[in-house]
Amino acid sequence: MNKNAKKRTVMRRVLVLILSLVIILPLIPYAVALVDGPGAVPNPGAQLWNEVRQRDGASAGVSQVQAVDGSVFINPYGERWRQFRMQQLVPIGGWLLVGVTAFIALFRLIRGKVPLEGGRSGKLVPRFSVNQRVVHWFAGTIFVIEAVTGLVLLYGRFVLIPLLGPEGFSATAAASKEIHNLFGPIFPLAVVLMILLFLRGNSPNMVDVKWFAKAGGLLKGMPASSGYYNGGQKSWFWMVVVFGIAISGSGLVLNFPVFGQGREIMEWAHVVHGVVAILFITASLGHIYIGTIGMEGAIEAMTQGYVDANWAKEHHDLWFAEMEKAGMVGVAPNALEEVKRHDDIDFKGFGSPGAKQKEG
Amino acid sequence: MFLEFVEGPLWYIALTIFVVGVVLRLLDVFRSGVRTDLAPPRREGLGGALRTLVTRSWTAPGFTRGAAFHLVAGYMFHLGLFVLLFFAAPHVLFIEERLLGFGWTPVPYWAFILAANFAFAGLILVWLRRVMHPVMRRISTLDDHLAVILTFIAMFTGCMALFQHHDSLRAIHMLTVEVLMIYFPFSRLMHAFTFAISRSYTGAAMARKGINA
Repeated sequence: MNKNAKKRTVMRRVLVLILSLVIILPLIPYAVALVDGPGAVPNPGAQLWNEVRQRDGASAGVSQVQAVDGSVFINPYGERWRQFRMQQLVPIGGWLLVGVTAFIALFRLIRGKVPLEGGRSGKLVPRFSVNQRVVHWFAGTIFVIEAVTGLVLLYGRFVLIPLLGPEGFSATAAASKEIHNLFGPIFPLAVVLMILLFLRGNSPNMVDVKWFAKAGGLLKGMPASSGYYNGGQKSWFWMVVVFGIAISGSGLVLNFPVFGQGREIMEWAHVVHGVVAILFITASLGHIYIGTIGMEGAIEAMTQGYVDANWAKEHHDLWFAEMEKAGMVGVAPNALEEVKRHDDIDFKGFGSPGAKQKEG
Repeated sequence: MFLEFVEGPLWYIALTIFVVGVVLRLLDVFRSGVRTDLAPPRREGLGGALRTLVTRSWTAPGFTRGAAFHLVAGYMFHLGLFVLLFFAAPHVLFIEERLLGFGWTPVPYWAFILAANFAFAGLILVWLRRVMHPVMRRISTLDDHLAVILTFIAMFTGCMALFQHHDSLRAIHMLTVEVLMIYFPFSRLMHAFTFAISRSYTGAAMARKGINA
């Protein structure tokens, strides 16, 4: 073998060796990882993105931005919140709303409108004061505005885009968002007024348990006794209190993000707001149905302030007995009498002989 | 097209009807004159006019409890609307660009939200009271209800247009405001101008008779 041939052989062997090393060396970390388990060999890329995505938990870096969560690059809880909204809140809430609406429709088909069994008596019984009715409709108005705009924000993408198109939905959603946020802070006022004016008489008692056991007297031939408020009305009142406080509190947290609340608090507030809103709206469907078209004579209590004596006897027999005893059945809805009864005007010093002397 | 119409010709038509209508109504009030009082005045009328202007801003003694609702809700609405009308940022800009040529500092966003809450809550409450109270219901006319409804719609559409990215929403707000402006001189909404005249007249007339009205 001449000298040149020897040199070429060496060169070939060196090349094979280098090639082998090029192929084998990168495999060493994998081999080590295979033996020692994952994580033994740090991967700079994976480590960087693990840090960015904060898979080990939320962490804050350092930033010149002086703001709440200003040094958080990516909020790891955002995805969890997004998945809850899209995979649970929207579909489950939607089915709940549709289901309850269908149940009410079915109830209507089977039971029909709950009639006044004894017909109209022509006698009236005073039920709600002017202030109670004003506060009720005030809360109802704000509730409906908030519910409708809230549902547009939650379900509009699925329901309204096919109807209005993207442009139409964009304008509707923008308007709904502004209305929802602007009317939102009024709702806590409505809840407080509701509590102040309707708390009295809403304590649960055994009569309510029996009322529930008899399905609230809604089934034919199963009358259920109740006082001024029945079990269903008391349940609705306490729902208004609990749901109202929860939805108001969470709404204010979302509406005014200027008090140091971070994204995680906002996400929790949104979860509470969304869940409670769905439950609140669902429950309200039953209240609205039975209070308006579902039961003969019921709506007059909130529009006129008076109910027919037979309605009172059939649905609130214990209260009716008290009113009868007090001589309050058959009171004519005379405007001045009604004003006096509600005690809205301070008549002291007016209309009495002594008053004229004082004025003179 | 629609936006151009409501921001152009219709705006000028509404503004003209509003200004001319209000001026004619006020001239009508002033032209009706004052009855000649032959008795020597016991006091100067001006003091009484100013006094009544202030005292009628509160309830008369004996009526405070009964009128508390109207007092609170009424002021909530009127003060809220005043702030919205003259100090909301989009309105200040509109006044500067389309009416006066100069503007002023608008209220911060939180104050705007608060004013809007007060205005909406107050308006809904006073109107519900009007509908629910047996006496109020009987003395209310179609004009009262129409004025409230038009005002509410104008405020509501303004709220809808807050996002300011959709011309259609702004056009709807402009249209409702213009309808309200056209209706204004023919309605009890004129009390926005006449309340001061009415109170001053009563105060001055009573002062001359020696009565604290």
